[in-house]
Amino acid sequence: MPLISTRALTKRYGSHVTALDDLTLDVDPGIIGLVGANGAGKSTLLKILLGLLEPTSGSATVMGMDVVTQGTQIRQLVGYLPEHDCLPPDVSATDFVSHMGRMSGLPAAAARERTAEVLRHVGLYEERYRPIGGYSTGMKQRVKLAQAIVHDPKLLLLDEPTNGLDPAGRDEMLDLVHRTGTEFGIATVVASHLLGEIERVCSFLLAIDAGKLLRAAPIASFVEHTGTLGVELEDGADLLAERLVAAGLDARADGRSVLVDCPDERPYDIVRDAIDDLGLSLTRLEQRRHRLEDLFRTEGRTDDAA
Amino acid sequence: MTPRDPAVVPRESATGAIYDLGYRGYTGERLGRRAAVLALFSASLRAAFGLGRSGKAKLVPWGITLIAIVPAAVAAAVSAIVPGGASPFNYNNYLWDMQIVFALFLAAQAPELVSSDQRNHVLSLYFSHALLRSDYALAKIGALAAALFVLAVAPMLVLFFGSVLVSADLVAALGDQVGNLAQVLGAPIIYAIPLAALGLAIAAWTPRRAYATGAIIAVFIVTTAVGAILVEATTGNVSRWAPLINPFVALDGTRDWLLGASVADSGVAASRLPLPVFGLEAAAIALIAGAAVIWRYRRMAA
Repeated sequence: MPLISTRALTKRYGSHVTALDDLTLDVDPGIIGLVGANGAGKSTLLKILLGLLEPTSGSATVMGMDVVTQGTQIRQLVGYLPEHDCLPPDVSATDFVSHMGRMSGLPAAAARERTAEVLRHVGLYEERYRPIGGYSTGMKQRVKLAQAIVHDPKLLLLDEPTNGLDPAGRDEMLDLVHRTGTEFGIATVVASHLLGEIERVCSFLLAIDAGKLLRAAPIASFVEHTGTLGVELEDGADLLAERLVAAGLDARADGRSVLVDCPDERPYDIVRDAIDDLGLSLTRLEQRRHRLEDLFRTEGRTDDAA
Repeated sequence: MTPRDPAVVPRESATGAIYDLGYRGYTGERLGRRAAVLALFSASLRAAFGLGRSGKAKLVPWGITLIAIVPAAVAAAVSAIVPGGASPFNYNNYLWDMQIVFALFLAAQAPELVSSDQRNHVLSLYFSHALLRSDYALAKIGALAAALFVLAVAPMLVLFFGSVLVSADLVAALGDQVGNLAQVLGAPIIYAIPLAALGLAIAAWTPRRAYATGAIIAVFIVTTAVGAILVEATTGNVSRWAPLINPFVALDGTRDWLLGASVADSGVAASRLPLPVFGLEAAAIALIAGAAVIWRYRRMAA
């Protein structure tokens, strides 16, 4: 059974804004990165999965439960870290997290015990007895994470968990998210507009743009070899490209480089011989890799045109 | 997805060993939605009196409760010193006479219960947990009603025990007074529920605490003034029905209908309206205001 499954999921705000557009996907447990620019529909998707928003059309299930009709059951098993501030300033972290534990249906004693545990896990110690209003942004994000895991959820939905953090804070938060996902075995969805963050902590990536699914695949497949050989020259890139095309290869000049499509190893020799024949000076020869950014460069463009 | 085995790794230090028990899953009981609603109710009731909060948060609710009790305590003390002296207060008129205290408590504490959750976006956390939006609304109304009940029943109990304690024969006095328990406990309930719903129906509309406080005070001042002016300035049917504009008249009328005697200055008797009319209005206030609160939280974006 997939962890999350959506079918033709669409959400419109009013008649003009389409946040999610015919989104169909199946996601298995793991640490899942949900990546997209601001306004791509990440938060909308998370809120629909929580049953906080109703889809305009289409359907979605979380752990086999329908988000519209079984929202209450889903919410008991899900932890949610919203993007924006969500903490009352006049309450201590201990009181707040334990209160949220009880809101998930934990008995009072268990909520207190779990609160002590998760606050230690997120790295809040003495300061947990002080009112949250006096906390730094980093500490607040930790409290937000703590309240999301206090009831030991089966699924964590984290909306921009590094929002507002400085680089050191980001690293710590990402490390925390990674540990929570791997050591505790809690399936986690991390929404972020920063590809670098997703790359670091996630094993699977969902890329959405303008409410449409760009790609869903393991992270590894995004950064694997593309089968493109990059030939960087001092000059004469056009010359080489012509020669290679004449030799029956799929090649094109790109600035000072020539990109050659290499479905097998045959082109390597042809490239070497062509460079030698033309007497060009070679700077670099490399296997091109996909970069996550490429997703949005190429496929995002067609969306804009539509 | 099984939690990993606790890896117990002792780390030696000067004071002893630290055991890293790792993360443990929760395998205990999950009580679900009903328990969550009850927990929210009791947490909100505590918040209404500033319990578990700073001393500053206690000042206003306890101060107002004290104001509610003092006249009853003074009346009890006076009748102890001057036996047979007529007290200005009784079970019928006490709550009517302390309507300004109710208005103050509502203005101060209804926003306390709901404004902060809205202003600080805590609502989106509540709504992502086991409870429904209507559960949140009902838990808050229930908590505020319970707080108002405490506020109202405290002076009533002072009157009750005051009149028992001043008599020479305690047992006989207790026997005499037991019949009044329906008044002592019932009248606060009649006041608490519609007022709580009304106060939250106003407070839920804005995340700004000051606005909510101002709006609640304004509603009580305007309804009292308009009701009183219309009674004076008009004649016939308009004058008869005008007292109903003041919600406190509806509450006193309901108390009159269900539990006891008329209060001279409340305008209930003077209006010569059938008493169930007041009961109907009090019920309508509770239901309509309660529905408005639920509607508000259903519609709110989270």
